[in-house]
Amino acid sequence: MRARLEMELEDVPGQLVKVLDPISRFGGNIQSVLHQRERKTPRGRVPVTVIFEVDERAKLNRIVATLRKMGVLITRIGEREGAVKTTVLLVGHIIHTDVRDTIDRLNALRGVMVSDLSLAMGAHGEESAARVTIAAADDACAKAALSRLVRISAEKKLLMIKLLGEKE
Amino acid sequence: MRIVLIGFGNLGRGFSRVLLHKARFLSTNYGLEPHVVAVVDEYGAAVDADGLDLKKLLKTAERKGAVTGYPGAEKGRQALDVIEKEEADVVFELTPTNIKTGEPGLTHIKAAILTGRHVVTSNKGPLVIAFRELDRLAAKKGVEFRYSAAVGGATRVISLAKKLLTANEIHAIRGVLNGTTNYILTRMSKEGAPFDVVLREAQELGIAEKDPTLDIEGIDTACKITILANTILGMNAKLKDVKTTGIKRVRPEAIRLAHEAGFTIKLIGVAKRGLLEVGPSLVPLGHPLAVGGTLNAVTFETDLAREITITGFGAGPQETSSALLGDLIDIHRSLGG
Repeated sequence: MRARLEMELEDVPGQLVKVLDPISRFGGNIQSVLHQRERKTPRGRVPVTVIFEVDERAKLNRIVATLRKMGVLITRIGEREGAVKTTVLLVGHIIHTDVRDTIDRLNALRGVMVSDLSLAMGAHGEESAARVTIAAADDACAKAALSRLVRISAEKKLLMIKLLGEKE
Repeated sequence: MRIVLIGFGNLGRGFSRVLLHKARFLSTNYGLEPHVVAVVDEYGAAVDADGLDLKKLLKTAERKGAVTGYPGAEKGRQALDVIEKEEADVVFELTPTNIKTGEPGLTHIKAAILTGRHVVTSNKGPLVIAFRELDRLAAKKGVEFRYSAAVGGATRVISLAKKLLTANEIHAIRGVLNGTTNYILTRMSKEGAPFDVVLREAQELGIAEKDPTLDIEGIDTACKITILANTILGMNAKLKDVKTTGIKRVRPEAIRLAHEAGFTIKLIGVAKRGLLEVGPSLVPLGHPLAVGGTLNAVTFETDLAREITITGFGAGPQETSSALLGDLIDIHRSLGG
């Protein structure tokens, strides 16, 4: 998932490094840091926003707990839309079983969007393969998308190849 | 220790060779001196209460294709008769697997336990059909029943779980448990060749059988998942409970699409409470289960140790004998040897 932490830091040297350390130490992959020194908050502190990827909620919780223990003032914790991404392969007559319908039925779910589809056509009369990337707002949405895709695959006789250990 | 071998095909012979080769090793390290007092195949039995000459027996069997060429061998004598009448400590059940009935292995194992013999087997059939029954029967009769060679060949996954992970609760078992399909998927992935072509190549190399159905349909993996669920997770699963998909429809283009996104395709078996499943899965490149060639790999997901993976050769007479012999040593030790 993609997490967004908004914090207020004291305006003394070394503060930014101090908060970035636990984020990467506990498995966060930092995507961007917005450090607005010129825009002091009413408390006279410097607002900082860090956006990072983590693969488990437990890790995010640990990062937040560690920062709080260090006395960092966290003003907002957010998770970005489309934060959970999952990849699925399909094998079968993907085009002839109406690929548009397959995508529409996934997109019809709340918080779910097919964000990428790569297709490798089989020879005439043979089966094709597709790689589908689904972006979901959270784990529950991703799970709903996968179980809908299981049903669609059964109906359209597609072989669905899931990620190891995903949403079992 | 007096041993009876039931079945003298590739595995029975391979195990005999290992017994010869490791005789001094076993004696020096474990004080273990195995004497093979009877060997039975489908044609008859060679019996000698003082221990058969394994070298001679192997030579005869290689030449005539049966044990009946051994001096004094009894043509047509059945395994059951030998198990019940010949004095022995351990019976090795090494006949071919039948996953529908478990026979003839099931009858052999039951008879051996009831006669008060310890049993070592590599035969998946009886374990898939009647593990609970056999396990209870052995406990009741106070004999050892060992089957670490049935799953993973040289990689003793069952022993790993039962002996080394004793402090852990095991939540899930995931693995590449069939060398043939793993070889096929690996070749498809490296060469971009279609399934049929690679299957034929595997058959020519003797990696796939003439009738490869059990392997490529995922049934062999499903048998192993059933055994792991029952022996390690304490479930009472049947083969039909495992949702099974084979690899026939996996196309080289699908593997290419997987690669582009950082994955490979493996035939993965999963056993956890509420889920018994075999099917092709996307495995991240570099993941411990992304093993190549004919290798097997199994990951245990546990509460304390988190994830533990074991990798090794899943088949072959010598490799599987490593597990059979390990079981024999365990029995020897449990008897205070």
